[in-house]
Order: sequence, then C-alpha cells, then structure tokens
Amino acid sequence: MNQPGRFATLTVNGRAIAATGDPARRLSDFLREEAGLRGTKSGCDAGDCGACTVIADGAAVCACLMPVGRLAGARVTTVEGLADAPGEAGTLSRLQSAFLRHGAAQCGICTPGMLTAAAALLAKKPRPTEAEAEVALGGVLCRCTGYRKILAAVCDAWREDVPEAPLAPGAAVGARVRRLDGVPKVTGADRFGADEWPEGALLLKAVRSPHFHAGFHFGDISAWKAARPGVAAIFTAADIPGRNRFGVIPAFADQPALAEGTARLRGEAVALVAFEPGAEPDLTDFPVTWQPLPYLLDPAEAEAEGAQLVHQGRPGNHLITGRVRRGDAAAALAASTHVVQGSMETAFVEHAYIEPEAGSAWMEGEVLCIRACTQAPVMDRDETAAILGLPPERVRVLPTAVGGGFGSKLDVSLQPLLGLAVLKTGRPARMVYTRAESMTSTTKRHPARITAQIGCDADGHVTALSFDGLFDTGAYASWGPTVANRVPVHATGPYRTPAVLARARAIHTHGPSGGAFRGFGVPQAALAQETLYDQLADLAGIDRLEFRLRNAFVEGDATATGQVLHGTGIHDCLTALAPHWTRALAEAAAANAAPGHLRRGVGVASCWYGCGNTSLPNPSTIRLGLTPEGTLVLHQGAMDIGQGANTVITQICADALGLPVEAFTLVGPDTFLTPDAGKTSASRQTYVSGRAAQAAGAALRAQILRLAGLNGAASLRLEAAAVVVEGETSHRVDLAALPPNPHGYALMAEETYDPPTAPLDADGQGTPYAVYGYGAQMVELEVDTELGTVRLLKITAAHDLGRVINPTLAEGQTEGGIAQGIGLALMEEYIPGRTENLHDYLIPTIGDVPPIESLLIERADPEGPFGAKGLGEHVLIPTAPAILNAVRHATGVTITRVPLLPHRLRAAILAKGAP
Amino acid sequence: MTPFTFARATSPEDAARLAALEGHRLLGGGTNLVDLMRKGVEHPTTLVDVTALSTEIIETARGGLLIGAATRNTALAAHPLVRTRYPVLSRAILAGASAQIRNMATVAGNILQRSRCAYFNDPAASRCNKRAPGSGCDAREGFNRYHAIIGGSPACISAHPSDMCVALVALDAQVHLLGMTGARTVPLAEFYRLPGDTPQIETVMAPGEIITAIELPPLPVAARSDYRKVRDRASYAFALVSVAACASVQDGVLTELRLAFGGIAPKPWRALHAEQALLGGPVTREAVFAAMDLELAEAAPLAGNAFKLELARRTAVAVLADLTGVTA
Repeated sequence: MNQPGRFATLTVNGRAIAATGDPARRLSDFLREEAGLRGTKSGCDAGDCGACTVIADGAAVCACLMPVGRLAGARVTTVEGLADAPGEAGTLSRLQSAFLRHGAAQCGICTPGMLTAAAALLAKKPRPTEAEAEVALGGVLCRCTGYRKILAAVCDAWREDVPEAPLAPGAAVGARVRRLDGVPKVTGADRFGADEWPEGALLLKAVRSPHFHAGFHFGDISAWKAARPGVAAIFTAADIPGRNRFGVIPAFADQPALAEGTARLRGEAVALVAFEPGAEPDLTDFPVTWQPLPYLLDPAEAEAEGAQLVHQGRPGNHLITGRVRRGDAAAALAASTHVVQGSMETAFVEHAYIEPEAGSAWMEGEVLCIRACTQAPVMDRDETAAILGLPPERVRVLPTAVGGGFGSKLDVSLQPLLGLAVLKTGRPARMVYTRAESMTSTTKRHPARITAQIGCDADGHVTALSFDGLFDTGAYASWGPTVANRVPVHATGPYRTPAVLARARAIHTHGPSGGAFRGFGVPQAALAQETLYDQLADLAGIDRLEFRLRNAFVEGDATATGQVLHGTGIHDCLTALAPHWTRALAEAAAANAAPGHLRRGVGVASCWYGCGNTSLPNPSTIRLGLTPEGTLVLHQGAMDIGQGANTVITQICADALGLPVEAFTLVGPDTFLTPDAGKTSASRQTYVSGRAAQAAGAALRAQILRLAGLNGAASLRLEAAAVVVEGETSHRVDLAALPPNPHGYALMAEETYDPPTAPLDADGQGTPYAVYGYGAQMVELEVDTELGTVRLLKITAAHDLGRVINPTLAEGQTEGGIAQGIGLALMEEYIPGRTENLHDYLIPTIGDVPPIESLLIERADPEGPFGAKGLGEHVLIPTAPAILNAVRHATGVTITRVPLLPHRLRAAILAKGAP
Repeated sequence: MTPFTFARATSPEDAARLAALEGHRLLGGGTNLVDLMRKGVEHPTTLVDVTALSTEIIETARGGLLIGAATRNTALAAHPLVRTRYPVLSRAILAGASAQIRNMATVAGNILQRSRCAYFNDPAASRCNKRAPGSGCDAREGFNRYHAIIGGSPACISAHPSDMCVALVALDAQVHLLGMTGARTVPLAEFYRLPGDTPQIETVMAPGEIITAIELPPLPVAARSDYRKVRDRASYAFALVSVAACASVQDGVLTELRLAFGGIAPKPWRALHAEQALLGGPVTREAVFAAMDLELAEAAPLAGNAFKLELARRTAVAVLADLTGVTA
C-alpha cells in the first residue's frame, strides 16, 4: 500500500521524477507545483476543459483527474516535452511551428492542452483527417480561436516549417507576421496569472455567499484561526483601509471588495483567508452564519412597483436608461407601407475564458506590486489603490499573460483582495479562482428582452425603428451604463433609418452582474433588428440580401445620432457576400427540392460597431525609445489578451518608423514602465493605440531624419549604437553620442491619441464614436425538423477592417467571434446556481464550428492608423441573427428566444403546425 | 477534501476484500470519483486503484466477448470485434465524454458512475435524496431538463448519464460480480435499481462486491446496430435523449429488435414493450410512435423535460429508419 510520504517514480519529458507527499494529489498540481512544469494549465479541475491534457503512456489524459500515485513507472509528456530536441532551446516541433504559422494560438491558455492532445494523435496518425483531429481535440475547449486554425495546424503539422522571410521596412502592415509573443505560447513558457508567485506567498481563499441574497454575520473568527496553524490571517470588510466600493464607471461604483453585512450576489466574497504556503486551504466550518433573504432574479419583477430594492437610492431597481430619438418614429411607422414587430429574449452568457482569475502580489518598498491577468492595468491600479486607501503611484500593476478576457477581466476581481492581504501582512500572496468562483462572482453578458418595430416603404426603404430593451444588469452596476448607452446608438444596425426611437434600460436583480462582454449589448440588439429585417424583406417581397443592400449606410449617410459617416464599408461587405449568397440559395433550394426532415437554410445579418468609448475620452499613449546601444524599445501598454495587440501595434509602429518588426523590443504592459494605453475593450486597441503607435513611430522617424538632415524618403537601418539613414546621401546617427533622457533613451518619442467624439444630448444626438467598423455574415445550415437540431455547414464572413494590419490575426478574431456567436445562438445559457461549471454550461467545441471563409474588406477610415478600424467585437454580432435567419429560411419558424436549444426549436416547429 | 490514503488492488479478490472495508472506494479512471471528491459529494478515506485488474477483451467459448472491468473506454470502442460485431457499442462509447476522458475511464467505472444531476453535485446549497437520504429533491421543482421522464420517483428523478450502458443494455450484457461470498452474474438490465424511496441505493451490488467483467452474448443482429444521441453541442455533452438499436428486417417486417434509451430514465432503459409491439410488423412512423406510446405509458414528465417524450419517439424513428433502410 502506498502511504503519504512514500515515493513513486515517474518519467516526465524523459526525466525521472520522484514523487513525494500525497499520492492522491492531482497530476496537474504535481506537475505545476512540484515539478515546476507550469505549461500544463488548470482550467476547471473537473475534466471539462482539457487545458491540463498531458500524454501518459501514449494516451492523452486530463491531468486534473489523475492521482499522481497511480502513475508509478509511467511516462508522461507535457507541453514542455514536445519540442523535437528536448533540452535544445528554440527547437520547436513541426506541430508547434504549425501552430505559429497558422495562428492557432491566440491567448495561449488552451494551447498546451491542444498541442498535447494533437501530439498523442499525431504519434499514431501523422497525417490525420479533419474528422480524426476533431475527435482527438473534442475535449479541449478554446474560447478564442473558433478552432479552425487549430484544426488546420494539426492537419498540416506533417509539413516542415519554412521560417518567415524578413520583410522589407514599411511592409509590415498587411503582412501575415507571426505573433511576436507566440513562441512561449507553444512551448508552455508563457506565464499566466496562476503560473508565477513569489517565494513564500500566502495562498488566499475567499469565503463566498452560496445565496442569491443573504444577510450574514461572523462567529468567533479568532478562535477558528487559532485552531488552525495553517491560517495566517483573516480579513473582512472591516479591514479595508480605503473606500470599499468599486466599479468601472466611477459615478456608479457600488460593489464592495468584501461585502458588508449583506451579500447581493451568489458567489460574493465576504471574507478572505490567507493560508501559509503548503497548508491545505480548507474553509470548512468557517464561522459565518447566513440569513437567506428574498431575492429578485426577474428584471420585470424587479422594476415592478413595490419590488424590494437591490440598492437603496436606485428606485425601481433602475440603474440607467439610454435613449436615441430622431424624427417621429411612431408617425413614420404609421405611414409605412410595411411594418413588422417582434420580440427577442436572450440569456446570461458566461465569458468562459479557460483561465480563471489568478495572480499574485508583494511589496517592493512602499510599492504594492500586483501581477494578475487583466484587460485594464491602469483601471486596476486606480481601483485597487482607492480600495486600499493608497495613492495610485504606490500601486504597480504588472499584468501576466491573459488566458482570455472578452470583457470580464476589465473589472477588478482578485486585485483588491491580493492587495489587502499583502498590505496587511507585509507578505507576498497569491490567489487562483476555482472555476466555480470565476463563474459565480464575475460578470456576464446582460440578458435582454427586446421589443421592436421596423417599417419600410413600398420600395423596401426602411422608414423607422422603435426599439425598447430591458437589460438585466444583475447585482452591481459594472458596465450596465455602457450597455444602456451603446445599445440605442447601434439599434438601427448599419442601415439608414430616418426616424428612430430606441431605448435601453438596465435593471438590477440579484443575478450575476451584467458587465462587458464582446459587443456591450449590441449582439442582443442585432438579434432583434436583423431577424425583423428578414421578416420585413419578405413582406416587401425583396430578396433578404438585396433588402439590406438597399438600406445599408453609404459614405456621407447620417446615423440615428445625426453623425455623418466616413469610411463606410457595410455596402462593400454585403456586396462581397452576393456571389456566395446566390450559390448558397441555389444549393439550399436543390437540397430542399426533395421532401424530408432535413431542411437547408441560408441566413445573413450585418453589424456595425463604434470603436472606443461612447462619447467619452479614451486616450492611448505609446512610447518608443532608442537606447544609446541602439536597442529599439516599444513601450506597449495595450493589453494583448490573445487578440494580437503586441503584434499589430508593433506592425503599425514599425511601418510608421521605417524599421522592421524584428528590430523591436517590447516592454510592458506595466504601469511603472508603459504609459497608459487604456483598456482592451470596445475594439479600440488597433485603432486608438494603433494611432498612438503610428504617431510615435512617425515622431521618432522625424527626429532621426532631422539629425541626419534628410527628408522623408530616406530608409533607416539599425547598427550597433547607431541608426544609419540612407537617402540621397547616407548618414550615421551616433546614438551613443546623444545625451540619454531621464528614461535612458538617446532618442525617444511619446505620442497620445484620443478619438475625436462629441457628447450625446438628451435625445442621443451627437458623435459618439470617431470610427465604426462594419461586417456581414452568411450562415448555411441544416435543420433536422424532427429532432429540432441544427447543423452548421458553413459561415462566410465579410468584415470591413479599413486596413488589414495582419490577415492571420484578423481571420483568427473573426473565427473566434463567430464561435462565440454560435454559442450565443445555439447553446449558451448561464443559469445562476445551476450551470457554474463547464459541463453544465456548454460552449462550442471543435465540432460545433463549421468551415469559415473570411472576406477581409478594406474601406479605409480617415481616422484609423493606415486606415484601420477595430474588429474584435464586430465579428460576434452578425453570427447569431444570421443563424436564426437561416433557421427561419429552412423551416419557416420565427425564433424569438436564444439559445435555440433543440427542445425550443422543436417546440417552435410544432407550434407552427408541423407534424 | 477529506484526507485519504491510496491502495492498489493486485487481484480481483484483493479488490473485493478492500472494497468491503469502511471508507474504501474503488478508483478506476477517476474521471467521476476524483471530481465528486472535489465537490464534497464523496468522502472516501481510502482509494483502491483497480486499474491493474483485467483489461483483456477475449472471445468467449459461445462466441460472445468477455471484457475486463478495467478496460479503458477507448480500447473497447476501438476493438475490432466490437466494431464489427457490436458497432452500437463502439458508437455509444465514442458519443460519450471526450477523447481524454475515454482514455482514462474504465468499463466498470462507466457503469458505476454517479448522477450528473446539478443538485446531487451541489452539497453546499441543494437538497438531494440520493446524496443525503430524506433531505428532499430540489430537481423536481428546479432545473430538470436533463432529468428522467420515466422510472423516477418522488424521491429522485436523476437520469443515468452513461452512453455506453445504453448500448450494453440493448446487447443483453451480463455483469460479472465478485464478492466475499463468491462470484455471480447479473444482466445489466437488472443490475440497476430504480430510485423508489431509496435513491441512494443504485445497483444490486452487495457491499464488498466488485465488477470483474462484462460479458456480451453472441448476438448476430447486433452487426446491424446504431447509436444516436441528441444533445446541445457536437461533443462532450450529456444526452437529452439517446437511442441504441439493433434491428433486422425481412420482407418488410422487423424480425429482430433490440431497443434502449439513454437520458430518459434513472437507468439505461431497455424498451421491451416497444420491441414487443414492433416485432413482426413494418417500421413505419406510426408503428414506432404507437410502440413508444406503450413504452412510455408510465412516464411522468415535468415542466423542464416533457419535451423528451416526443424527442424519444422521434429519435427512435430516426434510428430505426436509418437501420432498416425504410423511410419511416
């Protein structure tokens, strides 16, 4: 019998390792904590996500479900062991190279699991079919890529990699540059929130409310602590030195870091326990008594008269209403030839990034340092400082790699808790959320109930829209105000609509906080508007694509807020779909000619999305410096959460400066080292930080040319301690001879860009965004009308990026957004208290995403860097409505609620009177 | 998690001896038990690793298969004799879980996996008679979309989660048991107990008994068999409804039929009434519907899962139509 303390020896990546301690320990924990192999990730500890996949005796297994004691004598391969020549740094396997070549790693958190699962397959089948690869990878979840590039990389991994050829200066923009931060993602060397912590760090665990709404009081905390030598300290709200309220929008800040007497949210933290390193973090019998209180989970009930208030001072549980009014929508609808009206209901949607919130913190002198995954380092710094009563300059935020964010990692989560423990104990601390903690306590996409009416004239020109949206903003404000303001602006879709009355109100309940999630409410609004467009086109007797083309914005059109548009690419996107549309309709008609229960359908939907904050400043600053030694340093503060900011910002800067991408050394993000490049949200980084990077590159170039006395046509070359400038004549700028500035640079440029917007008035009239991006997607699918199931066949996505900075990354964003749109349409429904894990909450797997054809359109925007626009959120918006439109085309059934689970589709088919 | 020790069974007898001890639980692939321990649903004091027990798949003298209890799901699904003689079993296994889980999970562990009911798995905040007898059932009034429509009781409506077992019960599989008093064999169809008033007792196994093997009888009709699973996503999701079927048709009438359902009952549901009703007749939509009405006459669906009544009969039509080549 193996007893704790006995040895088991296993071979990991060819090295024999003696396992001591607890034989029942998870292999994933053993690899990460004892063997120091942190390339193996823990996403759920339940076998649901596959991030911890390793190869044990030739078979891919979930390390989180494997007790290490079981592996005596076994041979285990982790991601660190996949390189062709173990121990020879820099030698990637063909599979790893294929991942880089195809852009198959975005955030990189699922990459180790994908690679090991694929390597186990390739060992048996070096050239697998797509179907074989789908089976092998079906248990590894990815939330970023949409899987298509992973599938392509695995099936292409037999091929020898041809390294990238160097690009000529000025040719970076538009090139398929491989991710600059890609190699550590495929070797397992990348460090995410849970992967690094200072020696001796305390391990923090939060005590959380199991109730939707409950009062609570503590028993004898000191006695509980005294009986447990592993407990170093316990904190409650009473220990918080600053303002125990946070919120991304200061005027609405309402969320405590640790609740005070009442918990308004299932999963809300009420106390924090710091455990000594090595101690079992056991919260059993923690002395807290709950008094469950009546709760509200239905926003309609919550806004009804007499409902209890989630927050005092917010009557009717009303957080905010956003409104856009232009013309007289009611009169215009009454005068319209055709009018459709309908409703749409959506569910809570969980971000389901594979990396739960994680990080560590420590003191460096007077400065609190926080390393955690985030989308918004400067906001984290300011909110944490305020909660802890520190000036912001005493908090340094050093983000880790981020294993997916999609909006939820804009809000602080564990940062104030880490800071509190470190500040109070003076000792370093670390914290890793469990999957359940991550799902219960962080934000969700707002569930929406929308009613709308749209009219058109006899020629199919849209006349008016009236739109009313009720958004469940849950327990705390988070980004509720942003959603309420953004939705009415976008409610028309990218179409000329002369008369508009659009309102969106955010109502509190005791559900999860509605926050930022890719699209800020616009995907919900588009579901309502785009499905009504299909009905309206049918009424008017016009082809559905033609109807959209007829109404799509063109250059110089005015939006519902009265803004005149430039760089308007929606018409181009719809036009690009036209040949695909004709083909798809013909194929569907041919397939449907025979009777049967399998019916083909084709659907289309559009999107538009304003890049950056709505009528609020959101500047980015980028610094670029040349050291006296000739090192070119880009202070890149725009968080790369997988979307590719590190690469794209560098590509833009490189071409503005005139030096190749390989010449750049990237620093940051780090609030001590990088200027504020704002948050990674609202599809703003390529556009806003890109503009700042372009300006910084141009400014540094101008300085160099001035020193060389040459004009703009010159080419630059870096040499040791010098820049060589070649124009009509050749000059050598001696960097070592220049006096370094306070940052240590011989030459430096720092530039800020803030989008030119104008406030919205009471009727929502104004210029909320400087730049919009556009897109349209076409879905082909097959419905089994007997079973109510939907099989996606192909998605064709045309998106106007203004200027494509990096086609591989753009396609990756598109495919990933589409996968999330598929989830929104067909399967994702977060039910508080019931779906707090990744086997009850379903996100698309590799088999759920059909082939995707991306059509990248370039209608340059005058504001964007090299004409570029944002893309990240746009790509999710059209997918779900295009799916519903295709289902309607296939079956004749109008869908008014998502997700369209099989039983709902079947019920709708039955309700329409089918057999 | 309760601290526990780790033991390794060296023989079936050894495993049975250890299984009889207080607080001991057998550990197969661990894909279910390790997770239940994390959630605080199971609290063993000793885990007995049984993966060293038989992983053999051998042909029996009468032409069936004897499958060692510790055989991995992947190995069973890939076995050439399974794929040719019992394709329904191979397909059912591949329709379940993920490749990694199938690589770990054992046959006996699959049979003995616990309920996936969200309330059973939530000891902190939910009532469950299976987990805590007498505490009540939160599923009846709660989120019961995945729950049983037939065979449940007021005490428990959780559905059996296995895909593999649906095929096994259609194939008349026998469970070989070994206990302190000796060995015995029980048909899988009789191996599970319906919940009644004692949902915590899930099988007919006596304390200390272990599964040593599964035996498949020779069954020529199984060469023509299929498994169909309706679920919310393409892979790695539990069945809303699944159907395992073996059928042969001569002169337009069903001459042999095995039919079983997953996702609708607390155990893999062999549809003997439907089989009886359909045998000797043609496979038509009407005939299957009528047979399923008989089969599900005792069904007691709830608000969240009533759709399964219709879905089950339609899935049966789809599978039988595919298998028999008849457009039902």
